[in-house]
Amino acid sequence: MGKLATEMLKGTLEGVVLAILAGRPAYGYEITAWLREQGFTDIVEGTIYALLVRIERHGLVDVEKVPSVKGPPRKVYSLNAEGQEYLSEFWTNWDFLAERIDHLHNQINQHKQGE
Amino acid sequence: MAARWIETITGSFDDKKRWRAYKARVQQLPPSHRTAVEGIERYLMMTGPADGDYLLQMVDDLAELFERAAADGTLVREVVGDDPVEFVDTFKNNYGLAGWIGKEQRRLADAIQRAETEEKPR
Repeated sequence: MGKLATEMLKGTLEGVVLAILAGRPAYGYEITAWLREQGFTDIVEGTIYALLVRIERHGLVDVEKVPSVKGPPRKVYSLNAEGQEYLSEFWTNWDFLAERIDHLHNQINQHKQGE
Repeated sequence: MAARWIETITGSFDDKKRWRAYKARVQQLPPSHRTAVEGIERYLMMTGPADGDYLLQMVDDLAELFERAAADGTLVREVVGDDPVEFVDTFKNNYGLAGWIGKEQRRLADAIQRAETEEKPR
């Protein structure tokens, strides 16, 4: 994943993580590992942790501390009602943006072909 | 709380206790992760909030992140990524605008707002 892709992903990562949590509760390490598996290889643990701190502060998730054999308790995050609402707003915005950018892309392509 | 008057001179005792507890946690980390946390801590002290509460919350979270990473066997680079400055700046931004930089950012916003009122309506 190149630098440009990483930059572009930044604004959407919050929605992506909320979407993952809509599927099932998860902790930071799981989310990071899963994203890396999905091809977001530049995603690091700290970025996801910082993001989880933020969405927790914004009250979009509920947090449960689960004891772990090694290390501090794992914080398991699940999407709450407010998070659900935020997520559907994210998808609306995403659809709008994707549609507009596609439109722009097509227009430019047609213009090129017309030359 | 009669005994608390002295804290106006010495700073909060609770904060000092929390800071020491954080320092003790960092000492328990493997050397690599400790080095990383101490580097980030220094950067936070220099650039972060002057506000004690924010700073304590930040370093507590930082310690937790690296404790968890050490327990999971996550390497330092896999925690902070290629650009540690960018990582810490993103991390910091989650804690709101505190300290002198927050004040300066609000001052900037005020100045632009004032400039707007000085413009003639088009």
